[in-house]
Amino acid sequence: MNTKATIKRLATRVPGLDEVLGGGLPEFSFNLIAGQPGCGKTTLANQIMFALATPERPAIYFTVLGEPPLKMLRYQQQFDYFDSDALNRSVRFISLSDDAMTGDFDRVLKRITDEVAAHNPGLVFVDSFRSVVMAGENGGNPLGLQLFVQQLGMLMTSWQATTFLVGEYFSETDANPVFTVADGLIWLRQSVQRNSMVRQIEILKMRGQATQPGLHTFRIDKAGIRVFAPAASVASVDRTADVPVEGDRARVGVPALDTMLGGGLPRGYSLLVAGPSGSGKSILAASFLAEGVRVGETGVVAVFEQNPKRSRNPVLRDLIARGQVALIDSRQPDLCIDEIVLLILNEVRRIKASRVVLDSLSGFELALAPTFRPDFRESLLGLVTALARAGVTVLMTSELEDRYTDLRFSPYGAAFLTDAIVVQRYIEVDSRLLRVMAVVKVRASAHSNELRLYSIGEDGISVGDMLPEQEGLLGGRPTRKRIGGSPVPPGDGVPQ
Amino acid sequence: MNAQHGKESVTSSPLGGRLVEGASAGQVADTVGAIWLEIDDALHPIIGRRGMAALYNRSLSLTAAAHPWLAAGYEGTLSAVDTAALKSALASQTAAEARAGGSALFQSFHGLLTSLVGASLTDRLLHSVWKHSAGASSAQDTNS
Repeated sequence: MNTKATIKRLATRVPGLDEVLGGGLPEFSFNLIAGQPGCGKTTLANQIMFALATPERPAIYFTVLGEPPLKMLRYQQQFDYFDSDALNRSVRFISLSDDAMTGDFDRVLKRITDEVAAHNPGLVFVDSFRSVVMAGENGGNPLGLQLFVQQLGMLMTSWQATTFLVGEYFSETDANPVFTVADGLIWLRQSVQRNSMVRQIEILKMRGQATQPGLHTFRIDKAGIRVFAPAASVASVDRTADVPVEGDRARVGVPALDTMLGGGLPRGYSLLVAGPSGSGKSILAASFLAEGVRVGETGVVAVFEQNPKRSRNPVLRDLIARGQVALIDSRQPDLCIDEIVLLILNEVRRIKASRVVLDSLSGFELALAPTFRPDFRESLLGLVTALARAGVTVLMTSELEDRYTDLRFSPYGAAFLTDAIVVQRYIEVDSRLLRVMAVVKVRASAHSNELRLYSIGEDGISVGDMLPEQEGLLGGRPTRKRIGGSPVPPGDGVPQ
Repeated sequence: MNAQHGKESVTSSPLGGRLVEGASAGQVADTVGAIWLEIDDALHPIIGRRGMAALYNRSLSLTAAAHPWLAAGYEGTLSAVDTAALKSALASQTAAEARAGGSALFQSFHGLLTSLVGASLTDRLLHSVWKHSAGASSAQDTNS
């Protein structure tokens, strides 16, 4: 029999937070929620409280000198999680301002002790802790703070109460005694760059469990706080193995291209379609989704167009209207990649999709908050990994500036991240701008190495022949192959 | 007229249900003082004694527009609710005016709190005080 203490983890029900915490909050832990003013500390504390408090495990929310309680009630009730009926039943707000104003830690502690003894709460919140400290400093008692925190920590643990101290702008480097005493340190930040503001949460410490390291983006809306846990951790708990698929290859719906790919795109692969503007990337993407629907699969398309009014591909529009393809057209400013992954995975789960299109990476980069752009490549890797874990087959488009001096597939160095690449280019032949495409790679699979002409018509893409008599196609200005050593300009019509 | 007034105040003020017909100004003053203590007991743990005192003073100032004599009830204490001045101001009015002023004061307090934290939370917070009064007048109040 296991005689070790079992640490029960409380599910905060703040979306994404439990994943970031590594499975919830340890019961009876002593936690600090810190951050600058306005970063969402009180909101987080209230949301956790309303989620966890029950008549059997009531909560006490001590307000000190920070936000006046009336104001807090006024604003907090705007959130969906706020439940007026819980007030004075499972949730009790108690003002300590009268005691705190004296600057006497002992008196504040005594008051907390008395209330805790009277109501026997399972959850205790002290907001804001900074005010306790400041009040104490005014009282001229430097040792008081540490004693206060230590005593409070000890007291609350003995009373079997999970405790949260909500505190303002501690500096991280500050050797604050509170940090040592606390079991958990939850740090909220705001990263401001140009006109964009991104809220981030970091679990600096959580005793007894492995948390997701680093900064995690969160949003505050009417429902409260939503944390976007790292894409990989979301996907790992979200295997969509039950997605119905046919065959081990996903056809893209352009027969000749499917043949070139070696029979379609292997399931679970990600395909990068790179090409210049107007080369038909989005049309190919629509074909990929339409082919899926034709064989009974659903799909998700995430578009990041700058102009939402721009008329979409009619094929795609119909698929979306019929609900066979889910559209993610996020107009949210300051996106983070984890949020997009979450949106996509939610839709994948909802309609049991097996195909996902991202159109395009260029638009996606622009939709991201500036603060994430330097990490775009890493983020993209996270996205591709998460989607691969979810078991979907992905097609991404990437705008490629046509440079005829080098053969490039993606401005982001994203080429190595993807399992397959199709490149599209313009060439000039006989005073016409023609399009060619080729399959550059299909990981661990045989594929064609042909450079084929293709055209875009009413029925989408039709792939034509190679141009065996031409060379230098990738340079954009091909020439007829040399016969007898002298180059012949294209279009001369010299029979071979 | 009297009955109508009494019924109206049951729904919006806790005073009507607690006073017998023909109560003197002194009795009105005592009842008003007692109700304020109940309200204070219900709210000061949540919003602090100073927060409560601020709301009390604001209610007095709002109601004094219609009942100028209520201004005498305002002592300007910031740290806690003190009803002594209010009670003596009430006791020096006629019974009807004391009753009307007292009721109006509770109504404006209720309205003030509602404007700050919303109706449902206000009802939740003042439930015990208002319920107490409604219960006493259940014979009249057939709606609830």
